[in-house]
Amino acid sequence: MKQLQSSGGRTRLLAAALPVLLLLAPSGAQAQTLDTTQFVVIGEGLAAGMADFGLRDIYQKASFPAQMAAQMKTAFPQPIIQSPGISGGTPGFNTLPAGLPFTLQGAGRNDFPPQLFVFNLAMPGATVSDALNLRPASPLIQPANTKQTTANLILGYPSLIIKNNVPYWSEVEYAIAMNPTLVVVELGYSEVLAAAATNDPSKLPNVGTFTSDYKTILSRLKANGGAAPQVVVMTIPNPFDTAYFTSLKNAGNYLSGASANQIAASLGLKQDDYLTPTGLLQGVSALVTSNGTSLSTIPNTVVNASTQSAVEANVAALNSAITSAAKDAGAYVFDLQAVLHQVRQNGLTVGAQTLTADYLGGFYSLDGYYPGQTGQALIANQMLAFLNSTYKTNFGQVDITTVMKDDPAGRLKPSVRKNSNPVPLTRRRLDMTTLRGRR
Amino acid sequence: MRFRTGLAFLICGLFGAQWAYGSAFAINELGVRAMGMGGAFTATADDPSAIFYNPAGIAFQPGTQLQSDLLAVVGLFRFFPSNGPTGQIVPSNGFSGLVKPHFIPVGGMYATHQLNEKVTLGFGIFVPFGLAANFENFNDGDPAITKYPARYAGDRAALQEYWFQPTVAYRLTKNSSIAGGIAFVHTHIFLQESILNPLTDGKDFGKAFASTIFPGIDETQAAASIARLLPEGRLRAAATANSPGFAAGYLYKHPASKTNFGLSWRSAVVNHLHGQAGFSFLNNGTLPQFLPEGTTMNTLFPNQKIAGTFVTPATYSMGISNSAFFNATIEADFEVQDFRRFQDFPINFSQVSKDTATPAEQRLVFNFSNSYLFKIGMEKRMKKISAIRAGYSFDHSPVPDKSVNAFFPDSSRNSFTIGASQERGNMEFSAYYQAMFFVDRVTNVTANINQYTNGDYNNFAHLLGLGLRIFPGGRVTAK
Repeated sequence: MKQLQSSGGRTRLLAAALPVLLLLAPSGAQAQTLDTTQFVVIGEGLAAGMADFGLRDIYQKASFPAQMAAQMKTAFPQPIIQSPGISGGTPGFNTLPAGLPFTLQGAGRNDFPPQLFVFNLAMPGATVSDALNLRPASPLIQPANTKQTTANLILGYPSLIIKNNVPYWSEVEYAIAMNPTLVVVELGYSEVLAAAATNDPSKLPNVGTFTSDYKTILSRLKANGGAAPQVVVMTIPNPFDTAYFTSLKNAGNYLSGASANQIAASLGLKQDDYLTPTGLLQGVSALVTSNGTSLSTIPNTVVNASTQSAVEANVAALNSAITSAAKDAGAYVFDLQAVLHQVRQNGLTVGAQTLTADYLGGFYSLDGYYPGQTGQALIANQMLAFLNSTYKTNFGQVDITTVMKDDPAGRLKPSVRKNSNPVPLTRRRLDMTTLRGRR
Repeated sequence: MRFRTGLAFLICGLFGAQWAYGSAFAINELGVRAMGMGGAFTATADDPSAIFYNPAGIAFQPGTQLQSDLLAVVGLFRFFPSNGPTGQIVPSNGFSGLVKPHFIPVGGMYATHQLNEKVTLGFGIFVPFGLAANFENFNDGDPAITKYPARYAGDRAALQEYWFQPTVAYRLTKNSSIAGGIAFVHTHIFLQESILNPLTDGKDFGKAFASTIFPGIDETQAAASIARLLPEGRLRAAATANSPGFAAGYLYKHPASKTNFGLSWRSAVVNHLHGQAGFSFLNNGTLPQFLPEGTTMNTLFPNQKIAGTFVTPATYSMGISNSAFFNATIEADFEVQDFRRFQDFPINFSQVSKDTATPAEQRLVFNFSNSYLFKIGMEKRMKKISAIRAGYSFDHSPVPDKSVNAFFPDSSRNSFTIGASQERGNMEFSAYYQAMFFVDRVTNVTANINQYTNGDYNNFAHLLGLGLRIFPGGRVTAK
């Protein structure tokens, strides 16, 4: 199969992928003029530039909206969080208290004096409901409420510290107040991730409620009659296309080359279970100690096939709702799910290196479900190509080769062992380099 | 009878010298008898409106005469923009520049009195320049996409330049005369436009505040973003000026051939205006909510005194008439107005301290060229006291494409006129109708794209005039 490739700094999309994306434009829609003067993004962690369990400057600056804005040559102020960032919005992992400024941080936000407004409004962990309703609230830092603190730092800074009578907006309200010309909506991923990552289908969003909220968002964005912005909505990726979920068949790559049968037997798993990054670590521990622990008793380590089925069915229903709502509102649909699915299927070739959607495969960051800088660049390029084809614009592509040179995620590479030559578990030789990033 | 005569005169006169309409902002449609002949009247000049057309003409008008004319203009101005903001809604009939009420009264009052065979005195009140353009089809709270899109280049303007002109005419010979007048010219100007266009002056505002609002962002990009966070502002400015004006004329009659030859000149006027500018802002911008304590858009743009200079052009006209055939008079005129004087209209603001955002000067640049008019007309005396008239005129617009907007929705025009007069006792009643066909004008000026003034200007005007001439001492035959 063909792979997504980066050649000479230009990413080539699978020949089959682009027609799929183009089909998602509203039927019968005429090419409209695209004004990128005020480019605003509503979203969650993926659009925010979340990576490696946190939101921080090094990845935010390479978020796909930021890379798009650079190519479109438009202002795109972002709420840059000083490293090591703020955690939260990472289902399946423990959330640290929002103790900003954190160790090594002089301040929460990197920009001082601050940008009066930001255009990347995406918040890690934000749901569709949050985009409508979650507003900044004093105090700015709330250690016991990471989500509110994140909202405060993104949507409420500097409003919360300058004077009392300025409005506090939710993501959608903020976007409207910015009088945007182009809005990208990337929502829904947080909800399905929360269910998938914790193996808890009961957390999946109600399709009816989601649809209603999503329609409300689009109707509010489009409420300004014909002067309303151009809106592009993104479909929800399938979490099981990401690196967070490692099948037992592939888990041997991280567990000393053990076979799926061996892993299942040793860790008390079913053949069709998935291991999470935490599961891989716990699996290493269990295999090393041979303590007979079943991973299924340890939270956030194993995801069942039944959960996968439920999640994928839910994602399909939500994406159908998104597509329908977009059509009703005159918005365009960008099939993000298809892009990440292609990466799962074929990887991404950048120069001589192929990044994969496996854990530590280079495309996703350490949390497994948020792309690194290179992955964000791929999404940016696909979006730019989508805008070019939809609006007859001529935006250039991001040089992915250059982006990858500085991408911490791109340096991650698992040490793959051939299944034909497995290391016997009894020898307990585990190659721990698989769990470390390498240059 | 005398009471009714006076009342009729006043009714016309009360409307006299109001606001008006004209080529660019010239009004050539004064004098109902003259306009029946297409305005070709420089050589004929045989009624008191000669004070406007050719002051030397009054030297041949015996006795005392009073004249009052009232003209009603119904202008049908349509603008179909060729571009506009995203989603702009254009009415199926375009944007209308129709003023309210739906007709514009234009008037003039004239009086002449022959002191002796050599000297005749006259006094006229007329409006040689005026404007009444109104594309404000909206209320402030209406959705932006339904509003007239070119409002940032102006949506409403009014100009009235009243001339109060005493005139002295002198018979050089039995067949020739000269005349001169020194006028008191009172000018009033009003204009209205939106400000802080996100694509033009809003960016200038944004550039000034870019480093404060979006530190670290490219200044040009930040300015463009800030411009979209500003409220739409409305500027309304009104000012007046009092200035001197001058007029002169020469008329020669060749009795044998029944041919007249006339020359006329009316001076340019430099109006040094003083007035007031007022600003208001729609409640549709995000940025004002974040201005520092004590700062509002109104403190940034305070109402204030203004000054400015507005030049109206000089008029040069020449005409020749002949009355030798068919008991009729025919005349042809050629007229030039040096609109090239009107290059711009600077408005100087008085409150320009660092705490305000008003510029020291806003210069509206127009770069007009000279205009010329060709007029031809005839008068046929049907009976001893009655006449019918017809005429045609071509008026070349002085407005360049880049300056065509709501203030000057102008184009060259062809006009056809008909008229008639009837005498009753010591009064003469006249009427005329003019159909003014504007040449469709399509503008496509790159520099105007962000002002949305490019498009198709499709205009037509009906003009209907009524005139009353009174001979208080009875009609005296000219010698």
